[in-house]
Amino acid sequence: MNGVTSKQLIGFGIFLLAIFVGVPIVIAATGRWDFYFTLTSVALLSIASAGVWLTFYIGRINIGQGAFALIGAYVSAILVAKAGVSFWISLLVAGLFAAVVSVLIGLPILRLRGVYFAMITLVLTQVVTLVALALPITNGAKGITSIPLPGGISLLGLQILPPFDSMADTKLAFYIMASILMVLTYLALWRLVNSRLGHICRSMQQNEELASSIGVNIAYIRIIIFAISSFFGGIGGALFGSISQSVYPSSFQVTDSVNFMLNCFLGGLGYVFGPMLGTLTLYFGWDLLFTLGKYQLLVYSVLLILVIRFLPNGLLSLRLGKLGKGGGK
Amino acid sequence: MEQVLANGIYLGAQYAMIALGLTLIFALMNVLNFAHGQMYVIGGFVTYTIYGQLGLPYIVALLASCVTLAVLGALIERFLFAPVIKGSAREESTMLLAAGIAFLLDALILLIFGEKQRGVPKIVNGVLNWDFRIIMPYDRILICGLAIFSIVAFIAFMQFSRTGRALRALAQDRTAAQLMGVNVDRYSTIGFALGAMLAGLVGGLLVTITGINLGMGGPTSIKAFMMVMIGGAGVISGAIAGGFILGFMEAIGLAVLSQYGDITYLVIFISLMIFLAIRPQGLMGKPWG
Amino acid sequence: MSALLEVCGVTKKFGGLTAVNDVSFDVGQNEILSVIGPNGAGKSTLFKLISSFLRTTSGEVLYEGKRISDLKPHVVARLGVVRTFQETTIFKSMTVRESVIVAQHLRAKASLAGYFWGTRTARADIAAFGRYADELLEFMGMSAMAEELASNLPQGHLRALGIAIGLATDPKVLLLDEPFAGMNPEETMRTVNLVRSVCDARGVTILLVEHDMPAVMNISDRIVVLNFGEKIAEGTPSEIQNNEKVIEAYLGSADDEVGI
Repeated sequence: MNGVTSKQLIGFGIFLLAIFVGVPIVIAATGRWDFYFTLTSVALLSIASAGVWLTFYIGRINIGQGAFALIGAYVSAILVAKAGVSFWISLLVAGLFAAVVSVLIGLPILRLRGVYFAMITLVLTQVVTLVALALPITNGAKGITSIPLPGGISLLGLQILPPFDSMADTKLAFYIMASILMVLTYLALWRLVNSRLGHICRSMQQNEELASSIGVNIAYIRIIIFAISSFFGGIGGALFGSISQSVYPSSFQVTDSVNFMLNCFLGGLGYVFGPMLGTLTLYFGWDLLFTLGKYQLLVYSVLLILVIRFLPNGLLSLRLGKLGKGGGK
Repeated sequence: MEQVLANGIYLGAQYAMIALGLTLIFALMNVLNFAHGQMYVIGGFVTYTIYGQLGLPYIVALLASCVTLAVLGALIERFLFAPVIKGSAREESTMLLAAGIAFLLDALILLIFGEKQRGVPKIVNGVLNWDFRIIMPYDRILICGLAIFSIVAFIAFMQFSRTGRALRALAQDRTAAQLMGVNVDRYSTIGFALGAMLAGLVGGLLVTITGINLGMGGPTSIKAFMMVMIGGAGVISGAIAGGFILGFMEAIGLAVLSQYGDITYLVIFISLMIFLAIRPQGLMGKPWG
Repeated sequence: MSALLEVCGVTKKFGGLTAVNDVSFDVGQNEILSVIGPNGAGKSTLFKLISSFLRTTSGEVLYEGKRISDLKPHVVARLGVVRTFQETTIFKSMTVRESVIVAQHLRAKASLAGYFWGTRTARADIAAFGRYADELLEFMGMSAMAEELASNLPQGHLRALGIAIGLATDPKVLLLDEPFAGMNPEETMRTVNLVRSVCDARGVTILLVEHDMPAVMNISDRIVVLNFGEKIAEGTPSEIQNNEKVIEAYLGSADDEVGI
């Protein structure tokens, strides 16, 4: 609720420099152009993970983000590939559509708590996959392919952004786009958590009955938060569809939903930037372990279990201790 | 009609056993065992190896599946869940751990058994044909019978044995059980082993019908979650009811909806969500909150 | 004395069991009214019915002549009838001051989006919340522990924190759930004085449910006695002390239930 400290501003500046200047320099120097794709994926998955983190913030374990990511991916893909809508508009529509769906689904299921909510959200991912397989508009198992690259944006005849297919390096363009959206998402998340809504969420996380006794409309707040969470999921999914230029019912599966949850846990639930770090660690870790071939999953899962066993409060709990509690002030 | 009924009983008996294991673990330790499906797969592969590969009698293979999973379950509880539950007050940590274990078991299955679909020779040949009203291979009937027998044996064990009574006390109220002198740590391990064993047993039974492959773990877990939600988490009768309800829904769905394509599960999922909106605690679960 | 809160023939059944049976009484403006009774008399159920945390089977609760039973708890709180909880129900990982600030939800003038964007109204609100929190903690004698984490407070102060959270909502009627349970005589005295001053200095009407007889006799303007879900007596503390039915109800139950 108080202002931003200079230390936080400097940290944020360094972070921006690192992702928008540092990473391109390092990649140019090492020639690992494939890292752009990895980091773009990290950025868009971080956006979806941010939503999952937010539902944790009201005390709900959300293993259904894959469902909303898939919804977002399909909405954007259908709008761009079939209706010829600009990608940028479709991105917003995808987020909003996912949010509307989440309100409809959330009305009944947000009454559930603990593992019950977790189980039903897990099932949700499966439902959306099946819907995608069954509906004619989603093309069933064949999916939607050859989605055009994002077009340009012009305002009052002035071109702000050139179309992606005219660019020399679409990988870099996607990386910058996903990173900007990620930064915006986390800024919004940080602001939300530190504003009154965040404080109310925290009160609900700790005790819903007490929160309602002080006049908080807990059902309403739960819906709002779930909608924002799913909005992030939809945005992340739409980005994914655009980058891979295709969407299939299997683009986001139950495993992905579980991974979104893992990202949040691993980064640490007490820290706003936890899910970003968690996504980076998990996704990069998985990628780096690729060289291990068939032992990849084994090593990955053993490392995961060790972290849970010995760092139950997430990676950020290692360095920040009590100082950097994102949920604090 | 009779065919659908028979299929329902056959599926329901298998499902009920899977749900029983999951709900037992949940009731005892408040752990949602994501790895339950993987345990089922391991059970299937053990039976495949011993009966299908080594050619030993089927019953030996089935017992080996049970023992393997019981030991595996006990180890997982003792060295992973117990310390994590002690070290962290949040129930989320155990869920995370369960997900990690699911990945680990998947990795182990991949390394040890490979990713191919495996099947075993039929345990009995022939098909029952009752006037074309019920057509069912004998091996399915046998497996179904074994499953029902196991369920009855499990219930009897929980009702009448000392261990079963201790487990039930533990499930009802951990603190009270401790005060009554139940060795909580020991019975948690036993309960987890028992739950894992049930998963392994179903794996061993079903491998003779459907075969087994790496990818069956996740979907099996999801089905188990659904059954537990239908019946009410942590309630034995609920798990059995949930198993049979899902089994019948699947049997009916496949018979009635098959001409519309693969939408049986979609219908089941959506009706489950409507059902939970009306009755969040499931059929037999206790209301909470 | 005009009735602020009217409990009219309230009944609650759980399955075949009648927990509260046709209970009626009034609470006047600026009064402290206590509901007492042996264990299992239906006190907590009645308490939850009045604060709308449970639905009534029949009968109704009126506040300023308007029906408040069967509304959502937050709506009832919004109207000015706020309940507290027993000590375990707090915002565990918030500090005392944070708890009191978040509890001023109903005093907010800005919208939730306004706080997100940091509008002028929102900034004014935040400053006002802080000032009021400090004032309230001062009044409660809790200024010294403002920055303490709620979960670190000793039991007696937890109860005070619960009352502070309730007061932060600016209630007209404060419902206290066993405010003296588990306290030693000294703590009880302090809390009795606190509750008295909440009523006198801040003009809050108080309805409390309690087990501890001496404290109740000390603090209450009037007392309602429940037994087996029914009202068996109502009157001033001295009337209650001499009421045959009350003595019988309490003696009829086990000694330890009389309260120490």
